[in-house]
Amino acid sequence: MAGKSGRTINNVPESSVKRMILSWEGILVLVLIGVNIFCAFFSDVYNVANLLRQMPYYLAEMFLMIIMAFILVMGEIDISVGATVCLCATVSCIVCNTGAPFIVVILATLVTGTLCGALNALILTIFTELPPMIVTLATQIIFRGIAEIVLGSGGSISASNTQGFKILSTKINLGFGKVPIILFLVLIIGIIFAVILGKSTFGRRVYAVGTNRLAAHYSGIHVQKIRFIIYTMMGTAAAICALFYVSSSYGANTTTGNGYEMDAIAMAVFGGISSTGGKGNLAGGILSAFAIVCLRVGLGQKNVHAQVVLLIVGALLVAAVALPNIIGSLRRAVKKS
Amino acid sequence: MAEEYVLELKGITKIFPGVKALNRVQFQLKPGEVHALMGENGAGKSTFIKVITGVHKAEEGEMYLYGKKVDFKGPKDAQEAGIAAVYQHATSYPDLTVAENIFMGHEIIKHGMIQWKTMNEEANKLLKRMHAEFDATAEMGTLSVAEQQMVEIAKALSTNARIIILDEPTASLTKSESEELYRIVDQLRESGVSVIFISHRFEDMYRLASRVTVFRDSQYIGTYNVDGITNADLIKAMVGREITDLFPKPQVQIGKEMLRVEHLSRTGYFKDVSFEVHAGEILGFTGLVGAGRTEVVEAVCGVTHPDSGKVYLEGKEVNIKQPSDAMDLGIILLPEDRQKEGLIMSWGLGRNVTLPVISKLANGFFNNEPKERELSKDLLEEVDTKAVDIFQPASSLSGGNQQKVVVAKALAQEMKVVIMDEPTKGVDVGAKAEIYSIMGDLAKQGYAIILISSEMPEILGMADRILVMCNGRKTGELNNDEVTQEMILELAMEKGTTTKGGAAS
Repeated sequence: MAGKSGRTINNVPESSVKRMILSWEGILVLVLIGVNIFCAFFSDVYNVANLLRQMPYYLAEMFLMIIMAFILVMGEIDISVGATVCLCATVSCIVCNTGAPFIVVILATLVTGTLCGALNALILTIFTELPPMIVTLATQIIFRGIAEIVLGSGGSISASNTQGFKILSTKINLGFGKVPIILFLVLIIGIIFAVILGKSTFGRRVYAVGTNRLAAHYSGIHVQKIRFIIYTMMGTAAAICALFYVSSSYGANTTTGNGYEMDAIAMAVFGGISSTGGKGNLAGGILSAFAIVCLRVGLGQKNVHAQVVLLIVGALLVAAVALPNIIGSLRRAVKKS
Repeated sequence: MAEEYVLELKGITKIFPGVKALNRVQFQLKPGEVHALMGENGAGKSTFIKVITGVHKAEEGEMYLYGKKVDFKGPKDAQEAGIAAVYQHATSYPDLTVAENIFMGHEIIKHGMIQWKTMNEEANKLLKRMHAEFDATAEMGTLSVAEQQMVEIAKALSTNARIIILDEPTASLTKSESEELYRIVDQLRESGVSVIFISHRFEDMYRLASRVTVFRDSQYIGTYNVDGITNADLIKAMVGREITDLFPKPQVQIGKEMLRVEHLSRTGYFKDVSFEVHAGEILGFTGLVGAGRTEVVEAVCGVTHPDSGKVYLEGKEVNIKQPSDAMDLGIILLPEDRQKEGLIMSWGLGRNVTLPVISKLANGFFNNEPKERELSKDLLEEVDTKAVDIFQPASSLSGGNQQKVVVAKALAQEMKVVIMDEPTKGVDVGAKAEIYSIMGDLAKQGYAIILISSEMPEILGMADRILVMCNGRKTGELNNDEVTQEMILELAMEKGTTTKGGAAS
């Protein structure tokens, strides 16, 4: 059906192979390979078996990154997740120590995390004008405060019955090494959510909310419902993260989960997900998360101080954020000359 | 001869991308005179003021201050030359004190320290001059709108302004507050300050101004002495343009009632508004900017929530809580602000068009992108959008074509009632005609249409019935065959200046 003037409008998308290679995700694949080559030269014990063995501790944070990506795409932030992890880990240890069956431990942890997320969601969707940064800062203090009351100031708790948690740290031998089940789980959940964000109607709406909230509202999108769902899921993700944390440390203390929210944000932003909303995808987030995890494992093997590792990750992050600007100004400079 | 005037502008032309906002206009201000500047919305008054105050730079034309040619590079230059503007929406800092607001940007400083005592004293002196009943240390946010305006005027005086521009100062004032303002303006005039006064109220003009200049369609129409001009002359000068066949209004058999709104109220926005619209009918909604037209339809469509009132669709009462409810019922709003409310500017055209209907097109949980591309292509071609492909961002189109995308987005949905809020705002004449023709087609297809517009020719050219609002109230409902622009304008203006507004039903 051509218009009155007979003008036709093209609706065939151009081939995306070239775009894919030049995209940020393409660069991230190279970064991931580069990080692994670097680590292999840097550390003589950096190999597949060791990587798989040391990975689980860092992988737990990836659950946070997956949902954090949704929050960032909405143009918002949740900095309470680290504290939620702490509270969930504490609850799981307490419930575990009562001798309850492990399924009860899992459920109790998931419920705790989901409730924490729902509290954020409730505040943010009822008082829509409040900035998420401040609300989640407040709930962060509350969640960690509850954990500290339970644990005592600077206290800790350890899980006495580790039978259940050992199930979570099971490894499956696939010939080239023992693959921990957390790796499978992270990949499966990551892919599921990447598809939700990239291909589903829900994902499209999340981008709409993150790009122009007002236009989304006028287009009939239930903005607050979407925000509620995502913030609640963030809490659930924190609970899953906490379960795997306890399964590798068999306990929790008042500093558990410190800085996890920032790690999750860093992974996502390094993966090309803009903190101003509406940009990026989960494929980038997952690739960048693996690059950071590999780097941490490799540097950790040579006993590089944890703070130095943070320094390097921070420098990478600044570089990643500044890169589009640098490329832009280079281009302008080339054009001028 | 130039010395006769404190301020004289000649042949001012200001061009915004695609629009000539001012076309060779002129203006003269005598010393100690109050000069009214009148014209319809969009006639170019505000742009003209911004040229005087140095906010905009005119492409052509000359400006003389006390007979000397001046060329302002920015607002600071104008301020130093003694020109100050008080804008319609007070640009104050509500959490700071009155004195801080008055001296914002030119604080009294000695040895690098703000002299609070002197500043408060000076501020109080200025306030006393205007017989203000509040202190300079009061917080700005605690004052009434009228008092805030006094502070704005005091701010202008504090810069030793000799020319003060008031942009619709009475728009949000009550009757007695307006009286207070008149008194202050009289005082200013007596002290030798020249005042330029923009207002939609005839009352203001008669009460204050000695001369009035009228702009229309970005052009200078004339300057008249206030003594010896009548309401009718002035209205004719303001709106009297010829209506050509810009409006292809088809003859449509008007069908059954589609939408009926009864006694809709929202505190602070509008009160007791009732109307109905039939299939194939175009209902014009007019009034001055801020009359509450947009607020009424937004409440009908669930964007905001009315406090009371009922909405019926095809005779059945409906309960609309959010925009998606209205859309499911077939009440589609095309919002006023295309760039903020209508479209996601950084998205491709196709995604914009299908955004409200992705669920209907989807395969269960997943977007059906091929189907989306097909539908958006068809609709964008139907409204004849000047675009290359459906992937180019909405921001790459002109205003008129962006509006067509908004129309295509509406067409993607199941429509019964179409509400178009200022569909031709900021759109050039060619695209305007195309949008009117689409509107006519929609009416022919039996949709009920509500057209909100401040443009008189558009309302008269397209609407079957015209509903006029003023200050949040419906002031009249007229049939198009019995109506004149003057009748509408009088209903749209403040009551008290009305002489023949008896047409209200």
